[in-house]
Amino acid sequence: MGMKEDLAAIVGVENVSADAEELKLYSKDYSVSMPSMPNYVARPKNVEEIQNIVKLANRTQIPLIPCSSSIHFNGAALPVQGGIMVDLRKMNRILNIDIRNRAIRIEPGVTWTQLQDELDRHDLMALNPLFAHPLKSALSGSLEREPMLIPKFEYGDPILNLEVVLPNGDLMRSGSSCTVGFPDNAADGVNPQGPGIDWVKLFQGAQGTMGIVTWMIVKAEVKPKVNKTFFMPFERIDQAIEPIYRIQKNMIGSECLLLNRVNLAAILAEKWPGDFSFLREILPPWTLILILAGGWRRPEERIEYEEEALNRITMELGIPEAHTSLKGAPGLEKKLPGMLRNAWPSEKVYWKFGYKGSCQDIYFHTVLSKAPDFTEIVTEPVAANGYPLDEIGIYIQPLERGRACHFECNFYYNPQDTKTANRIHNLYVEAAETLINNGAFFTRPYGPVANMVYDKAASYTAALKKTKHWLDPNNVMAPGRLCF
Amino acid sequence: MSIPKEAYEALQSIVGPEWVSDDPAVRIADTKGGYATGVVDVNAVPPGISIQPETGEEIQQIIKIANRYRLPFIPTSTFFSAMCAPTIDDVIMIDLKRMTQLEINEKDLYAVVGPGISHSMLQAELFKRGLMTFVPTCGAQSSVLANLVHCGDAVIGWRFGLGYRRVLAVEWVLPNGDLLKLGSRSYLKDYFWGEGPGPDLRALMRGNEGHEGGLGTITKIGVKIFPFIPEKLEPKGVSPRTTLKLPENRMKWYNVTMPTREVAVDFMYELGRCEIGLLVSSIPPLFRYVARSRGKGAAGFWENWKKFGENADKNLMDIRVLCFGWTSEKQLAYEEKVLLDVVAEFGGTASAGPATDESNFQSADAVCSWFIGGRFLSEVYFESLDCGLHTEKGVRELARLRTPPLADTWDTPMLWAPYEFGHMGKQESLNYVDDKEIDALRAHEQACREMDLKIGGYAIMEDTRMFGKAWHNYDQWMKKLKATFDPNNLSNPPKPLERLLYEE
Amino acid sequence: MMITLENLRHDANGCIRCSNCKWVDHIYMKSARFARICPITQKHAFNLYSAPGLMYSALAIMDNGIRFTPALLDALYKCTSCGACDVRCKRNLDPEILSVIEALKAKAVEVGAGPMAEHRAVAKNIETTHNRYSAPHADRLNWLTEDIKPSVKADILYFVGCAASYADPSIARATARTLLSAGTDFMVSTDETCCGHLLYSTGQFDAFKRQAERNIKMLEQSGAKTVLLSCAEGYKTWKVDYPKILGKSTSDMNYNVVHITEHVDTLLKSGHVTFTKQVPLKVTYHDPCNLGRLSEPWYHWEGTYERYGVPNPVKHFRRDGHAGVYEPPRNILKSIPGIELVEMERMKENAWCCGGGSGAELAFPEFASWAASERIGEAKETGAEAIVTSCPVCKQLFQRTAKENQTNMKTYDMAEIIEKALP
Repeated sequence: MGMKEDLAAIVGVENVSADAEELKLYSKDYSVSMPSMPNYVARPKNVEEIQNIVKLANRTQIPLIPCSSSIHFNGAALPVQGGIMVDLRKMNRILNIDIRNRAIRIEPGVTWTQLQDELDRHDLMALNPLFAHPLKSALSGSLEREPMLIPKFEYGDPILNLEVVLPNGDLMRSGSSCTVGFPDNAADGVNPQGPGIDWVKLFQGAQGTMGIVTWMIVKAEVKPKVNKTFFMPFERIDQAIEPIYRIQKNMIGSECLLLNRVNLAAILAEKWPGDFSFLREILPPWTLILILAGGWRRPEERIEYEEEALNRITMELGIPEAHTSLKGAPGLEKKLPGMLRNAWPSEKVYWKFGYKGSCQDIYFHTVLSKAPDFTEIVTEPVAANGYPLDEIGIYIQPLERGRACHFECNFYYNPQDTKTANRIHNLYVEAAETLINNGAFFTRPYGPVANMVYDKAASYTAALKKTKHWLDPNNVMAPGRLCF
Repeated sequence: MSIPKEAYEALQSIVGPEWVSDDPAVRIADTKGGYATGVVDVNAVPPGISIQPETGEEIQQIIKIANRYRLPFIPTSTFFSAMCAPTIDDVIMIDLKRMTQLEINEKDLYAVVGPGISHSMLQAELFKRGLMTFVPTCGAQSSVLANLVHCGDAVIGWRFGLGYRRVLAVEWVLPNGDLLKLGSRSYLKDYFWGEGPGPDLRALMRGNEGHEGGLGTITKIGVKIFPFIPEKLEPKGVSPRTTLKLPENRMKWYNVTMPTREVAVDFMYELGRCEIGLLVSSIPPLFRYVARSRGKGAAGFWENWKKFGENADKNLMDIRVLCFGWTSEKQLAYEEKVLLDVVAEFGGTASAGPATDESNFQSADAVCSWFIGGRFLSEVYFESLDCGLHTEKGVRELARLRTPPLADTWDTPMLWAPYEFGHMGKQESLNYVDDKEIDALRAHEQACREMDLKIGGYAIMEDTRMFGKAWHNYDQWMKKLKATFDPNNLSNPPKPLERLLYEE
Repeated sequence: MMITLENLRHDANGCIRCSNCKWVDHIYMKSARFARICPITQKHAFNLYSAPGLMYSALAIMDNGIRFTPALLDALYKCTSCGACDVRCKRNLDPEILSVIEALKAKAVEVGAGPMAEHRAVAKNIETTHNRYSAPHADRLNWLTEDIKPSVKADILYFVGCAASYADPSIARATARTLLSAGTDFMVSTDETCCGHLLYSTGQFDAFKRQAERNIKMLEQSGAKTVLLSCAEGYKTWKVDYPKILGKSTSDMNYNVVHITEHVDTLLKSGHVTFTKQVPLKVTYHDPCNLGRLSEPWYHWEGTYERYGVPNPVKHFRRDGHAGVYEPPRNILKSIPGIELVEMERMKENAWCCGGGSGAELAFPEFASWAASERIGEAKETGAEAIVTSCPVCKQLFQRTAKENQTNMKTYDMAEIIEKALP
């Protein structure tokens, strides 16, 4: 039997394909990474099928590339060495919603939209990133450590536990979900520790190199019934930093993020390109968005004391009071909490695509006080590659009470224009290099950035390689990625 | 002693002769651990050498010498755990107490600590700067680093989550002597972030608990710290009755009593939904009586405990809640109102407690669990609050079968310490026996583990041999992991491979 | 129960290695720099150099697991028996760990391993000349001056002690002048002999017992009912160690023990003493271990440990740091015009030992200087110009160390400061 037949024997003939047109869909994404073709795609429906695929891959040494979304942005689902795409979208069930523990167990194919819709029915909400694409898998978004909009929860990631098919086909369940008989036993699968090691952490940021996650239990939080949105405009980014530190250290608010006018315009534009141009003109250079969320009980009273504290901070800093509306975006204050707590609406052009059709992101972690410097540092490679400085989108997400931040630059470009696309590729590489050399910490190094990072992190790279070899001696899982 | 002279001299040349010793008395002092001593460390033997490095570089060299001469080694700091007691001959005991590096980044809320920094030392420095950390239940004398990479258990988990997730960037000397730098330290000088790049290798640092030196020695960590209110916590009193006076405009304790365990658990879930309180924990009568008897000795406790037991209500469950005005005084008022609403709705009673603390901020007196004599073991489970109802009942029923010789708990509720606003929680049951009846404690322990296999209990003191197969053969993976990173099997063998509670 | 290792097995075994004994009360900890309370632990760090290390050594010695090795003797005799570990331990636990350390020293002496040569020499001096310095016994009252004329008979006997009698007579004179100025009737005795503190604290129990009996007899013959001391070591010896070695409680002794600071404090409160002279000095007060945490009354207990270690009979006492002489010296300093009292981080029951106690300075002068340097550094942090203390050993060690370190921190005895302020 050939590989296709072997795969068909596992997942059913209708769930295997070697058709070039179909495979082409997996060969490129919205990143600047080089396209590469897989040999097959298999669409398993359950964990046993995945285990059998993995065992087959080990027997034949063929690479496996798991993917769970219809859309990808960073090259992490490209088959850089060919092989079998393990498309997990058929596994899209919400397996359990645990209202008491505020936890939900989802399969890889569950999208952010699907997750939020389900939680919404139970007055809960997911800890989601900024306007995820509606087709994006919530499971892989969490695995990739996409930053939460809410810095008030001390934990940086919402994952409680997961089930994973390891690179040799064995099954592992993390934390208390490993207990005998789970989920039909006393455990609710909410303790992420152990057994033996912290499995949850190992698979995060692994870009599919360490195994195939088949379900995940993620935290949900109570969805606030009452909200009050505040906007704080700033002329320069450095003016925004101290207010964010103060707000976060005083434990004020729920969602909190800083956007420059390009990104905020891209988010708010209803009609392209008119709205976008107008908003870019009228919006302040930087806008800090802060949602005060009313509690589960006495919501107005919580908002009241938080608002008072917010006013105290602005007074202490001698800056204008935070606004309850945003000039140029009437009514936004009412809509924004709902918008932020959902994926991007599927009926609208994705916010990163409206301007020029595509967008290349570059992001890293730093501390807030260094964010203004990085805003400057990035301009050099941007200018050197002919990208207009006033078209850089910047998004700064305070993390864990402002201890650190996710710093993201968005470069909008037309993917059809090969010349521009190539320039963006160069820009991406050069910007990453410049940023790394200036102290940017790329916790999620994708594509060409991975080599730059791992070249510098010698001891980490060596230990990662050992760890990879421990789990995947045949290197069948997503080879060619990270430092593997 | 069979440690070669050349190895001894090489170790002396690394740290200086005054910081290495093979004197029998020095070695004897490194034999016994603290927690679970007499239960866990029954096979302990003195190490061959005790050595005291001051830097990570020295540790690297020591471990390289250990590998050259094939000598096993164990890192320790405060040694408040019998788990690190040597059980094989010729161990090099690497005592990390001299590693007292401490830097505090006030702006970005992290500290960098060596293993010699205790929680109280860190807290004292943080309070001066208007910041704070929390002390673990086992006590403020414990090493911040050792505690967080091992257990990190503290009531602060209600708002700030699992203790070990406070660990940020890490410097770690692997069993072959190589230095591994994690997180932002992987290629930067900063310690502000722990993940990555890529997969998070802090994953290997601990599972249910730390690797106990089985995968090398962690020499420095960045650790999250927290902002605090401008008001100071004032120390009051004379030993042993000292306490921190809490600012009443910002903090208020409430003692809540609920009619049953089940209602108490419902109540804690609801508090989680409300996201109020800095600390929430149940207070078992046993703990309360232990605390009350401090300063009176074992006799005082047993007399009072017996009297209490004669009329004890087996159902009532007490919960302590610290309402906090972090943002402002008005927040405190808000939290109190919400708390009292919930208490009333769930049919409980609440009363304000004294505005003092001796268990969470700068001191913790769990050590007093020992003064009531004998030996004890905790059955510690980490799962949902609901799951705690099953494990607490199970352990209680098993204990009843062996009471006496186990001390009577009068079937009163044990501990629930909810974490992360009720997303999860610790449930802990203590059982005591007299020194001479440790076998009964062991038999109880074994019965609890057997129960775990049946009902899905997830205890933190698992025995790999017993649970490996049941838990997806994780023991086999651990075996391979140990071989990968410690091919000479020298780093506190056989840990983390086998976490044996006790040897038969 | 007599202080022997065998009698204290339960206590040695009661150490659960929590290590609280190594730190000041966490609640009173103010910095990482001054967080530690045990000098030997701070200096040597090996677990042996700590109360738990000594507890395990005690058990091993009893069970023939080890002999008195060089390291054990080093740890044991550098240990100043300052009692910090004991107070810290009793926050949560019951064992009498200081008694175990004392008994371990006695065991060392019993088997011929201890004490250190310097301690033996002092013992010989005491035996032959009745003072630790080998000075002529006849010179014991040479400190008396024209203006100091004690009564021949009085209810209060001022027990001067070796240090103030021979080495630092200014303390004796200041004390006597203070008593005279306050109208306190007191006597001194030509039959006074060394209190024996060093003998007890180095484990030379037999010799100490002889000194105890000799001095108690001297007191009885004098007719005085109260022993007044200016020396912290003597104070603790009379109040705690004499009853302890005789198998009694402090309350069983038919004499009272009072320290000059307690006496003056009482007189201040009753208005019999007022300070009129300005003493313009910013000072910090160093609590001598023997006047502070070690001076709590001793309670003799004999019995057995039943199930769960419950003592039979029940112990109705606990020496846990709450009853030391902490306030009198502070009240006095606060009452003196011109004195500004600033506190060190480690104070009262959490005070750091000077490093000289229990013969450590004699046998390990460098170690003692190091410990004293730590304390002087702590005093400097307060901005004080001088350290005031109530123990001649502390004073002498601080003065020597300040000179060696070329720092200008002065040290005074409380009696000297009091004298300066009197009319």
